[in-house]
Amino acid sequence: MIKRDTRFTILLLIPVLLVLIAYVLYPSLRTFFESLHTEGGTSFQNYSDFFSQESKTNLEALWNSVYISVLSVIASALIGIPLAFIFNRYDFPGRGFFSTAAIMPIVLPSLVGVMAFMFLYGETGLVPNALKDLFGLKNVPFKIGGVSGILIVHAYTMYVYFYMTVSSAINKIDPSLEEAAYNLGANRFKVFWRVTFPLLTPAIVAASLLVFMISMASFSAPFLLAGGYRVLSLQIYFSKLNGDMEVAATQSVILSIVSIAFLLFMRWYQNRKDYRMASKGIGAHRSEVKNPILKWVMVLVGVIAVIILLLPHFTILLLSLVPDGTWTYQTYPSVFNIENYRLLLQDPNIFKPLKNSLLLAFIATFGNLIFGVLTSYLLVKRKFIGKNLVDILVMIPWALPATVIGMNLIFAFNEPSIFSFGNILVGTFWILPLAYFIRHIPLVVRSTNAVLEQLDDSIEEASRSLGAKWFYTFRRVILPIIMPGVLSGTLLAFVEAVGEFPTSVLLYTISNRPISIEIMNQLRMFNMGQAAAYGMIQIVLIAIVLFVSNKFFGVKAEQSLS
Amino acid sequence: MKNKKKMSILTVLTLSASLLLAACGGGETEKKTSGTPKTPTKPKEKLEEKVVIYSPHGKDILSKFEQQFEAKYNIDVEWLDMGSQEVLDRIRSEKNNPQADIWWGAPSVNFDQAKDEGLLEPYKPSYASSLADGFHDPEWNWTGTSQTPEVIMYNSKEVKKEDAPKDWDELLDPKWKNKVIIRYPLASGTMRTIFSAIIYRDFKDGNDPQKGFDWLKKLDANTKEYSANPEMMYNKVAKGEGTISVWDMPDVVMLKETKNYPFDFVIPESGTPVLTEGIAKVKGAPHPKAAEAFYEFVNTPEAAQLLAKDFYRIPTRDDVKDLPDWITNTKIKPMDIDWKVFQKESDNWMKYWDENIKNGKKEIKQ
Repeated sequence: MIKRDTRFTILLLIPVLLVLIAYVLYPSLRTFFESLHTEGGTSFQNYSDFFSQESKTNLEALWNSVYISVLSVIASALIGIPLAFIFNRYDFPGRGFFSTAAIMPIVLPSLVGVMAFMFLYGETGLVPNALKDLFGLKNVPFKIGGVSGILIVHAYTMYVYFYMTVSSAINKIDPSLEEAAYNLGANRFKVFWRVTFPLLTPAIVAASLLVFMISMASFSAPFLLAGGYRVLSLQIYFSKLNGDMEVAATQSVILSIVSIAFLLFMRWYQNRKDYRMASKGIGAHRSEVKNPILKWVMVLVGVIAVIILLLPHFTILLLSLVPDGTWTYQTYPSVFNIENYRLLLQDPNIFKPLKNSLLLAFIATFGNLIFGVLTSYLLVKRKFIGKNLVDILVMIPWALPATVIGMNLIFAFNEPSIFSFGNILVGTFWILPLAYFIRHIPLVVRSTNAVLEQLDDSIEEASRSLGAKWFYTFRRVILPIIMPGVLSGTLLAFVEAVGEFPTSVLLYTISNRPISIEIMNQLRMFNMGQAAAYGMIQIVLIAIVLFVSNKFFGVKAEQSLS
Repeated sequence: MKNKKKMSILTVLTLSASLLLAACGGGETEKKTSGTPKTPTKPKEKLEEKVVIYSPHGKDILSKFEQQFEAKYNIDVEWLDMGSQEVLDRIRSEKNNPQADIWWGAPSVNFDQAKDEGLLEPYKPSYASSLADGFHDPEWNWTGTSQTPEVIMYNSKEVKKEDAPKDWDELLDPKWKNKVIIRYPLASGTMRTIFSAIIYRDFKDGNDPQKGFDWLKKLDANTKEYSANPEMMYNKVAKGEGTISVWDMPDVVMLKETKNYPFDFVIPESGTPVLTEGIAKVKGAPHPKAAEAFYEFVNTPEAAQLLAKDFYRIPTRDDVKDLPDWITNTKIKPMDIDWKVFQKESDNWMKYWDENIKNGKKEIKQ
């Protein structure tokens, strides 16, 4: 019996390991070997070039990446932590609405978000020019671009991670602890500094590490806003453009090392014993703001904040109504209609990228669904040697910047290999679904882990002991219970795949060109309206998925993003 | 509770069914497109059902010729519009699995590079005799379609004609500080050519690029911003964020004439690089017959005339009649350039420029 069970575990393990080795490990190793490739044979020459290069371009890019990431962490923390406090500790009119609006940046796919910021706050953007005309200024009062642009976009999209982790930590704090401190005579400041803040440290550190990693990997923001500013993720793309594949490989490996180091550090930190309290029945404890002036000031600030938060969404909506050719060098658009949406539905050339994106995302997510459930079941419910290794392999695509995953696939599959059944995948339709699949392995596995961990083993045992076969049990008992969690993760993977940009830009072909590439093409042709219409579709898709997950599956899907 | 569960199972089923359907559908369409390349190119006259073009020519030109070609041959034209350096990178990446049939438009240096890397398929067009020697590759890996002089462009609303810089060196005048907008040159064949030509001016005498680098360093000091693509550069110059740029003459004339951009141009007095833009067949093209038909189609005298009149391209063929005035009236002094040297050195020069001359910090302050 035991033996049969082990055999079964192995049977399930084989396809999982095969997929992980073929599409995660092997491509990474190929990139590494490519980086060792030099004219004179195999050596670390490319690495010593990276660090000793006379012009220090690469070092500068590495340093800039780290610099931007640190600043992004600080900026996101400064926005996210106070917001979490205000919304979870105080009660005032409209609080519920504001706290929902605070997670709205998450429905903006990165490329679309950057585009919105460019048109809002860039030098030719709507806000600076409106201010200029309003006050009769000679020059625009401010604009974003270069470092400041990247930073603002990062802060806007990433403070949500701080907001969410700190919010949930605040709600876990037992209010009696703070009350005890007050009773002992501590003032507000001391209570915050000595009691509340230390309890929040784990959440803050976790969010910081997360934001740091995401900023290191960030591609869309520097791609559109950097001007001449170098960051490593972009430098990889430029090296490839220049035909220096070995340099691109070296840069990829170095960026990966930094990212993986952070992942390991994060896991180590999360697994440390932390001093959370186990007291039961913690009530959400919000003090109502009594002072009427203060109350309405808070409401006012909330309203202004919501406007700023939702301005990018509205900009995209507004731009999507501007038809082609009516807004070129004029300061403001003047013609609005639904021409772009009509074209989207009627012009097959314009509809095709949307169809491609949906198709690619369907294929990739279908793979993710099957692979994710299988892998998660193995990791959570089965015992086998080397579980840690599988766990790490699953997490690698999450740690690797998307640009690196794209490069890995290029190095691995631009020649026939057994893992692609003797085919060349680069330049074919299938390379993109594969890339999306790899990118979203961790997302689906993690969201499935979360529900599986809550599933009592005895349910499975009961079914088995009543005579059901494993597959029957899995299909009729386990799957229905975990489905809401699985589906919300899968749907999220789906919408992420629809908007995926960094791997798409490296791997797309003319036959499978997805939305994000078409957005870039339309921007290039200065047809912002059409680009924005594509963006709007992505926003709506994501919003629907988040809504459905919350409403019907009762799962906070946005939390799987972190 | 039970009901809810049923619901979710139902959703799963429908979802996976649609996923499956979608996946199957994808497989089929894919087979259709990738199936064609495998049929060997027999000398039958039947053309393939589609042709794939990579080109930096932009939507206007490409859709015009797409329509005309589709009307005449009933072959589906698919095109991808991107910078010429990006085209080169893409064809290089797809070397083992070519997707494109025709590469239409890029400076000849890019084609020479592609030729050396074995990415092109020689094709001698039917009109070969009307091309002068400089306008095609000796082995016919590529042929010239149009000549493109590089010019200094300026915003004619902000800068008066007499104040505009008359020659390259005048761009370095401190009065243009923060007025110059440059298209980020690494991805742009046009900008690579201009920058390389500047270096080459002094390089050809002493084999030393340093003087040219110094020149570019001074230009960098006047440069306000490097734009990620040409459209952004046009937009910024048009809106007056900057007033000066360097670009190619046909594009400037086209923007001025057809889109009412406030642009004008100056042909540098000391001479300017005149690029030959070309066309080439990609090696291993999946639709070789249709590719050749398209190659011929966009180079007929009628096509050349249309390109000259509507899209401001100066033809390479010497048998095109009735050219517009701006071609016959403009005096261009071509810079004397050895394109072989150019091709050999320009990658290193651009790399040096990117690593040592381009000032990334300048943007930070603004």
